[in-house]
Amino acid sequence: MLEKLKEIIMNYVEVKEEAITPEARFMEDLGFTSFDFMSMLGEIEDEFDVEVDQQKAADIRTVGEAVEYLEQLSKEA
Amino acid sequence: MVCKTIREIIVEAEKKYGDGDAIRYKIRKNEIERKSYTQLKEDSERFSAALEKLGERGSHVALTGATSYQWLTAYLGITGSAGVAVPLDVSLPAEELCELIDRADATVFVYDELRADAAALAKERCPKLRYLISMQAEEEEDGVKSMPELLAAQQPGFSCEINPDSLCTIMFTSGTTGKSKGVMLTHRNLAENATCLDMKIPERSVTLTVLPIHHAYCLSMDILKGLSLGTVICINDSLMRVAKNIKLFEPNMMLMVPLMIETLARKLEEASLLPAAVVKAKVFGKQFHTIYSGGAYLNPAYIDLFEKYGISILQGYGMTECSPVISTNLSWCIKKDSVGKLMPNCEAKTVDNELWVRGSSVMQGYYKMPEETAEALKDGWLATGDLGYADEDGYVFLTGRKKNLIITKNGENVSPEELENKLGEQRLVQEILVREKEGVIEAEIFPDYEYAKKKRIGDMQEALQKVIDEYNQGAPAYKKIYRLKVRETEFEKTPSKKIKRF
Repeated sequence: MLEKLKEIIMNYVEVKEEAITPEARFMEDLGFTSFDFMSMLGEIEDEFDVEVDQQKAADIRTVGEAVEYLEQLSKEA
Repeated sequence: MVCKTIREIIVEAEKKYGDGDAIRYKIRKNEIERKSYTQLKEDSERFSAALEKLGERGSHVALTGATSYQWLTAYLGITGSAGVAVPLDVSLPAEELCELIDRADATVFVYDELRADAAALAKERCPKLRYLISMQAEEEEDGVKSMPELLAAQQPGFSCEINPDSLCTIMFTSGTTGKSKGVMLTHRNLAENATCLDMKIPERSVTLTVLPIHHAYCLSMDILKGLSLGTVICINDSLMRVAKNIKLFEPNMMLMVPLMIETLARKLEEASLLPAAVVKAKVFGKQFHTIYSGGAYLNPAYIDLFEKYGISILQGYGMTECSPVISTNLSWCIKKDSVGKLMPNCEAKTVDNELWVRGSSVMQGYYKMPEETAEALKDGWLATGDLGYADEDGYVFLTGRKKNLIITKNGENVSPEELENKLGEQRLVQEILVREKEGVIEAEIFPDYEYAKKKRIGDMQEALQKVIDEYNQGAPAYKKIYRLKVRETEFEKTPSKKIKRF
């Protein structure tokens, strides 16, 4: 999950793969804008065939939290 | 044709485009619902009639929700019955929504079920409210009226006299003192802003509306101008799905803020090894040709980049107080580094380096804020707060800002004072300065070291980050603070003991 997410993240921001740790925060550390983040969620919906809840997704700050949320969605699907 | 009221825009459009689609939106994955100009006009008339039946013709009606057919019907219904619509940001915390409903003297609150929480709070906190109307509820319950029920009980055909110079919309915008201000716009303000300039947009073009509907730029350009040209307005259901919705609705043009243009530019560049036409077809579709950019400054490099793919970006400049467009670039008249040519209904002059504008789109003032109004409006001229000038041909050039307002790349205005006041309430914060840095909001704090010592706070960075995190939790996304800088010394002050901002 993390590996696939890393690939997607690197389509949005120019960071080295090593920088994408579970603790990395999307906006503060990886340089995401709010619209980058929303667009990425859309791409995640397609890639993982899940439906992202926008309200819940708004609370995600770190890569680790995103992985956790995705794992939970995949289990539900 | 220049229209003088919002009602005139929809009436004229319906005469011309009747059965043609006005609005398209998704109801399920990939399933599109369509509403014609006739349906939109008639449903808005039903809503006007419903307001009259409730004894609320001419009332102030607060409105909150994402862009939807129901939102547009309600807006056109309120303004079409000489009422005053108060569009509110759907992402605001419930407490703030209630405060604005109250300050705008709204007696009716129309809301999307998404914000049932705000409606429940408004029942307790807004004593002036007489009716709550849910956009989706199928029947009346617990004193909340159902919009579908109200519409079904009425006939179309409602009409009443509307004075073009009467108030029709109050839009809240960030104030430099930290308290948001209700910009009062008349029918003429908005209708003329939307219809006075022939931008040579082909009739029946298809647009995808992606910006928040409570913003003047979206309401005026996407909706009112769109309707006046018989445009097919497609509604984007979520910022997460802009790319997907572009493929689904196949728009010819879109209104955007710089933040979106930057993300989409990366999408184009990702596939830059392929021929430009192929990339464009993949990201936007072959039919796409124009982006209108506004709300914040756009780096001109993006205009050149998109041009490579056969997409024109036309940048405009404006502010809510001017309904909102002041100047706009057009493909046949562009001056480099200018933010466009003045609208035909607008003139400009420069006073002490500040740009002042006058014309039929300048607001009446700020609702119940005479001091702030007097500061902004001088003998009919609107002091924009921007430093700049218009040249002899009417092209506007901006050189800086006079006020402290932070304008984020998605066009949201944030008052640093508002955030400073909120965080300054924390005991640990002695002095604070909030500003924009590299595209995000940063707070620089000089903590109360004595207090920290008493409380045995060891890690100041961590303690202050906790303060910021707590603030962020309750703040809408565009007001969140993403950077923290801790000072060891006090800020430098002006002679009047204010922190020097620059």
